[in-house]
Amino acid sequence: MGIIHDAGRNAPIGLPVTRRLALLGGSALALAPRGLRAEPRHGGTLTIALSSEPTALVAATTVVTPTLSVSGKVTEGLLRYDFDLNPQPELATEWSVSPDGLRYAFRLRPGVKWHDGRDFTSADVAFSLLLLKQVHPRGRSTFANLTEVLTPDPLTAELRLAKPAPYLIKALAGAETPILPKHIYEGTDPTSNPNNAAPIGTGPFVFKEWVRGSHVIYERNPNYWDSPKPYLDQLIIRFIPDAAARSAAFETGQVDLGYRTPVGLADVERLRRHPDLRFETKGNSYSFNVTKLEFNLDNEYFRHLKVRQAVAHAIDRELIARVAFFGNAEPCASPIAPGLREFHDPTPSPYPFDLAAAERLLDEAGLRRGANRTRFRVPLDFNPVLDEARRLCDILRATLGRIGIAVDIRAQDTGSFVKRVYTERDFAFTTNGLSNLFDPTVGVQRTYWSKNFIRGVPFSNCTHYANPEVDRLLEEAAVENDRARRAALFREFQRIVAVEVPDINIASPAFLTIHNKRVHDHSLTANGIEASLADAYVDA
Amino acid sequence: MEPDSFWQRHRVLRSVLRNLSFVAGMGILGVVALVAIAAPWLFPGDPLDMVAMPTLWPGEDPAFPLGTDSLGRDMAAGLAHGARVSLLMGISAAAIGLMIGTAVGALAGYCGGWVDNLLVRITELFQTVPTFLLVIVLVSIREPSAPAIALAIGVASWPTVARLVRAQFRSLRSADFVAAALVSGARPSRIIVRHILPNALPPIVVTTSVMVANAILTEAGLSFLNLGDPNLVSWGSMIGDGRQLLRTAWYLTALPGAAIALTVMSINLAGDGLNDVLNPRSGSQ
Amino acid sequence: MSVAYRTGKALRRTVVQAVPTIFGIIVLCFLLLQLMPGDVADVLAAESGSATKETLAAIRGRAGLDDPILTQLGRYLWHVAQFDLGSSTRFGTPVSHLILERLPNTLVLMLTALGLALGLGIAAGSVMAIYAGRWPDRVLQVVVLFFYSTPGFWVGLMAIVLFSVQLGWLPSGGSMTIGTTPTGLGVLRDRVPYLVLPAFAMASFFIAVYARLTRAALLEVLRQDYIRTAVAKGLSPFVVQTRHALRNALIPVTTVAGMHLGNLLGGAVVVETVFSWPGMGRLALEAVTGRDFNVLLGVLLLSSMLVIVTNVAVDLLHAWIDPRTEAP
Repeated sequence: MGIIHDAGRNAPIGLPVTRRLALLGGSALALAPRGLRAEPRHGGTLTIALSSEPTALVAATTVVTPTLSVSGKVTEGLLRYDFDLNPQPELATEWSVSPDGLRYAFRLRPGVKWHDGRDFTSADVAFSLLLLKQVHPRGRSTFANLTEVLTPDPLTAELRLAKPAPYLIKALAGAETPILPKHIYEGTDPTSNPNNAAPIGTGPFVFKEWVRGSHVIYERNPNYWDSPKPYLDQLIIRFIPDAAARSAAFETGQVDLGYRTPVGLADVERLRRHPDLRFETKGNSYSFNVTKLEFNLDNEYFRHLKVRQAVAHAIDRELIARVAFFGNAEPCASPIAPGLREFHDPTPSPYPFDLAAAERLLDEAGLRRGANRTRFRVPLDFNPVLDEARRLCDILRATLGRIGIAVDIRAQDTGSFVKRVYTERDFAFTTNGLSNLFDPTVGVQRTYWSKNFIRGVPFSNCTHYANPEVDRLLEEAAVENDRARRAALFREFQRIVAVEVPDINIASPAFLTIHNKRVHDHSLTANGIEASLADAYVDA
Repeated sequence: MEPDSFWQRHRVLRSVLRNLSFVAGMGILGVVALVAIAAPWLFPGDPLDMVAMPTLWPGEDPAFPLGTDSLGRDMAAGLAHGARVSLLMGISAAAIGLMIGTAVGALAGYCGGWVDNLLVRITELFQTVPTFLLVIVLVSIREPSAPAIALAIGVASWPTVARLVRAQFRSLRSADFVAAALVSGARPSRIIVRHILPNALPPIVVTTSVMVANAILTEAGLSFLNLGDPNLVSWGSMIGDGRQLLRTAWYLTALPGAAIALTVMSINLAGDGLNDVLNPRSGSQ
Repeated sequence: MSVAYRTGKALRRTVVQAVPTIFGIIVLCFLLLQLMPGDVADVLAAESGSATKETLAAIRGRAGLDDPILTQLGRYLWHVAQFDLGSSTRFGTPVSHLILERLPNTLVLMLTALGLALGLGIAAGSVMAIYAGRWPDRVLQVVVLFFYSTPGFWVGLMAIVLFSVQLGWLPSGGSMTIGTTPTGLGVLRDRVPYLVLPAFAMASFFIAVYARLTRAALLEVLRQDYIRTAVAKGLSPFVVQTRHALRNALIPVTTVAGMHLGNLLGGAVVVETVFSWPGMGRLALEAVTGRDFNVLLGVLLLSSMLVIVTNVAVDLLHAWIDPRTEAP
């Protein structure tokens, strides 16, 4: 499932240096020279590699990954987040949430100007939030409970909600909820507004050019509100679709930075030995993913709990993490990624790797080995967006073969995959990736909630799982203001789905940011590279 | 068949066997085909199974003389089973292309008139659309299974044959022996099958070898773009898989690449040899 | 027949044939695309990681995907008749913009590859024919056979490893140094290094094709009477070979080259992917996977027109090479 997704903002501004060092984390190599460097250097060009081209440069009407990667450079958000998703100021300097969770008040940063010289005001905020509720692919659900935005003065915005939305305060990063210039969008069709391809914003970088199929160039915004930032003179985003070519570009120094493991997983170990390249895992906490195997519960075999349990017993998460992900993943039996520490349940699967147990369950289900020692034959689909999908399928095919389930892997491109799995439901089981986004209500609920069994909608409940108790837990968690109680609801939910196995959660990929050693301070927030990069600087 | 063509056949057979490039090509191809046929006995079991440590270099472990890939699958088994897939893919795609092309070309060349005109237009239509793009579109319509890929490559490759066959038919239609058959009242279908087709055969045979070679190369290109059949090991998919490790484990790409080059080369050699013999004035249509 | 007469005839033929051909291509491709599972909304939703029913419906409404297929086809034809290729649902911009931005890159790459293939191919083929049976022929035959039998993308990947990663002589991808604005000769100096590897990868197969064709054609021509006569008349073999023989041998080569343009563009899909070359091949591939049909139809249409125009040019070239040849 949606592999994809994030948004966000840059670093906690004004933290003491020691705290920033701690936040930086990452490799010891990166830390050592940092301690010696007092001041970030001004000037220079940073080149980022993306694997595909954005469909727009503003993440308002589209949230495809490459658009999220670039949007925040120009178009900022109200907040940014630290690695643990605690809100930090961006366009909003102060904020408060009423105890009933129905009123949010934001104090806006004074003196901020759009790139065309107009003042940024609360009218822009109100306009943006209400527009996003209409046109943003996730806006309809994120802002479902938003009824109105009051603007008592140009620097105050108050959100009124019909029901509590405890995830909302985490949804306000620039790439997820971009604050748009009202004077550009008002009265236009937001999907075809020219601003989407040549954006004006409040951010540290000013759009310069977009050469289709090749690159986007941004230049330093000299009037940025957080002076003396940004440090870079120029930011170049290159689109390099071939993984091997991206590797070569990193090695030859043609690109400096890439995130969400920008090279083939198979190539990571080799690149680790490159003297100029560094690896960073921070700055990916705005969208942890879980790679999973989803059953079609309407399938003649997988509708039986014992068959699903048997398949679960055949999943060797350690082996998969090591082989399919080349070690760049954490085994994970829960739909909520370990990265979302507040909610993740680390309990192992009730069905450990045990082929004998699997065979026993299949025998009990009445599926005995027949001709060619095969019990039954099923097709296995995979979401082609995932790098590890093919290798994962190869592993599943091999292990399931050993317990007598003959698997035919079915390849298809994204369009065909969506059509097959979500519209026609002509599948038996499929590997998929689910982005947790910034909160389980937004990122996880959708695949288990029975009311989200909607044909034709990608990343809905494609298993056709329906459990009233799970529905209740999810619905309560969605409006629960108390953090501890909310976490408890999600734990109970995880316990139930682990037993009932409508899907098998396998591993949470460890997204790597690869950068040239000359690049610094690029991953200071929850969604490091997707944030504004105002803090990033390069050595001469 | 008239005794005439029997005699010709024997002459052809003798000179074919004296042709060095044909013999060399067929020799190599024969070995490849033998490996392909024997693969299930040489390497029983599924070549997609993970059987050993990943990325063992050739020679590192005597049990896996050609090493293992990034998932620990036996390269030797992959190459042997891949030979089946690549050869079958090449042959069936070429057969499909040959069938469509011969039918269209024969009809157009024999009938002439508006039929010819229409068919030429259709041929041009297909020839005008970039072949590889057409294949990609066709493969995307159905899931990339081996038959679908062979069909797509075949459907995209027929225009060359059609043009060739049509030209042959046009020139042969006015040949004396055809005219004689026409005068004697033979049915058109009989004339096509008995008289024209056998005489048009040599250039078609040579073109077929090129088509088989190109089909193998096209399949490799598709696999490179991740549009291959995931249930089969083809040399193309092995290159695609090994590509990411090109610089650390180059043998993963080099071995199947060499296998493709060798096989395609042998087919081309054989084709060249045939061409020299069947078409001594050399085919430069 | 005079060249002028032939030119006029060829142009008339082009116009008369191009319109129905293009109409046929549009209809064929349009119908083929309808068979592809999933649509642009599905792909956008999948790439976004989440979506709602309303968002999907909005995208489909904008693209007119809810109308009956014949209505869509009619609308498309009506727009094309007015030289309007529609707009990309994926990018929200006119297709003509997307294509025009990439067309120069593609033409540069294709023409360079074609030039390289013809130049090297004919040169190698000539050498092989002149030294037929001797060692330069033998060596070149093996080299040519190798390129004839090896996938171009593989040649490209190996070239990246050798020339950009190991030796550092040439860039591994892209079409120019981004962020600089060279002028005059500087543009050339900047672009040429980027062009070398992809052009060669694209050309490698065709170099072999033309070398083989040239060799065969030349050998045949050299056997013919008028060449023997020319030699007998006392012309030097070199003059005979270049002036008479090569000229006639060029006819099959150029015919095939004209026909290959479509293949070359198809090959561009893979090569542009390997070298991150911002051309139409990649645009087309992304349009297939993105189900962005207006873009795909636009690319197919344009490339088809390119092939048609080239074929006419080849006919004209033949009239110039050998005034005796008849139009096919």
